[in-house]
Amino acid sequence: MIEVRNLTKRYGDTTAVDDLSFTVQPGLVTGFLGPNGAGKSTTMRMIVGLDRPTRGEALVGGRRYDRLDQPLRHVGVLLDPGAVHHGRKALDHLRWLAASNGISQQRVVELLEQVGLGGVRNKRIRALSLGMKQRLGVAAALLGDPQILMFDEPVNGLDPEGVRWIRDLMRGLAEEGRTVFVSSHLMSEMALTADEVVIVARGQLVKQTPMEALTENGSLEDAYLELTSGRGL
Amino acid sequence: MTNAFAAEWLKLRTVRAPYGLLVAIGLMIAFGATISWLMVQDYDTTPASEQARFASADASVVINPVIQFCVAALGALVATSDPRLTALTAVPDRKRLLAAKSALVATTSVVVGAVALALSIGASRLIMGDRPAPITPWESLGDVLPWFGAAVLSIVVTGLIGLGLGLALRSTAVAIVVVGVLLWGLPAITPMLPEPWNMDASGVMVPYLVYEVAGVVEDAPLSPVAAVAALIIYVLVTLGTGMVTLLRRDA
Repeated sequence: MIEVRNLTKRYGDTTAVDDLSFTVQPGLVTGFLGPNGAGKSTTMRMIVGLDRPTRGEALVGGRRYDRLDQPLRHVGVLLDPGAVHHGRKALDHLRWLAASNGISQQRVVELLEQVGLGGVRNKRIRALSLGMKQRLGVAAALLGDPQILMFDEPVNGLDPEGVRWIRDLMRGLAEEGRTVFVSSHLMSEMALTADEVVIVARGQLVKQTPMEALTENGSLEDAYLELTSGRGL
Repeated sequence: MTNAFAAEWLKLRTVRAPYGLLVAIGLMIAFGATISWLMVQDYDTTPASEQARFASADASVVINPVIQFCVAALGALVATSDPRLTALTAVPDRKRLLAAKSALVATTSVVVGAVALALSIGASRLIMGDRPAPITPWESLGDVLPWFGAAVLSIVVTGLIGLGLGLALRSTAVAIVVVGVLLWGLPAITPMLPEPWNMDASGVMVPYLVYEVAGVVEDAPLSPVAAVAALIIYVLVTLGTGMVTLLRRDA
């Protein structure tokens, strides 16, 4: 479970996240929606301790992320697939991540095969396509077999086969009882993937609701635009 | 801590830049040995009455600043080469991350510095043979130990300075430029200051501190103990600034 309580982040006079509270339940795929600049990425970064909240707190499995001894065993994170050393081989990238959390090197090899990167594991990351980098990021998130997973725009750069793969992966992870929290701008994709949605605008919670309740009178896109109308940047 | 150190070690040896720095150090050792050999050739063909005017042919003194610079660059790379986002999601305890990086840089600096200096001193010794002072600056290998220890210490210090600057400035290039200023820029300027500031300021420059620690400078501004303390202050200031930046700023 992910619990966000009164989370606030200010940069000088600008409030990126404003007293945001919501809970992400296990066993569901929870979509995180909002216009550009709504504070989605900032919220995700605060959940994993990358950015310090001005106020409030975010807990994963009841604890702060930065207090977890081997965090990758509890939480899998894909925030920016480009945040890697591009001169390192794909295999070595996962090897150091595994070493940092006491995860076996065998798991690395298995995962590379699982995400379809077994054939390019000895290629340097700069030589991988955007979709391959995205798959490498997913592999990094899955490395510690965590119960909680967070993906920021995971289908960016993926071809239709890759989009189907990540959708099935997230659905499968949720069906195993894991907590899956995913942000995306692709409403059609969210409608197919998410069981619940958290919608934010200007750093504030607009609505948290089951997907069925949101789409019973139309498409997710229509409902989303109606809820966020006039709340963009 | 063990896992974080293992990860930092794996990160360091799976990118190309550190190997480039090792090659640069290796080339400098070879270059230094060549200079030693040329000096000895010149010495041997010079009349005995003029041989006393020769400087030492020990190349380790010349290549030590290059080793310092390469190790400082290595420290900066350890701080900056991997995006913080990924590093901090893997090891979110920032103090533990800093400890692992510091331990890695210190360990690597000791090994690289000791091996490189030993190779350079050994090569110089072979080339100088049993020729007397001043072309040979020491009578036995025991005489070189104070210099060797001081130089290795200075290499560790510059490695940690590079790490601290990398963490504080969050840019490999800027950190390396500042290291260059500390190792070469400021020491070139301080002798131009009016007396007695020139001696006082020069005495606390990193390249000069090495000789003060070794106790080979007559009338040095600082005693060996004070010089060690000055080197430690360099580490505390730069690494401390890096630590504050890492602990307080968003990734």
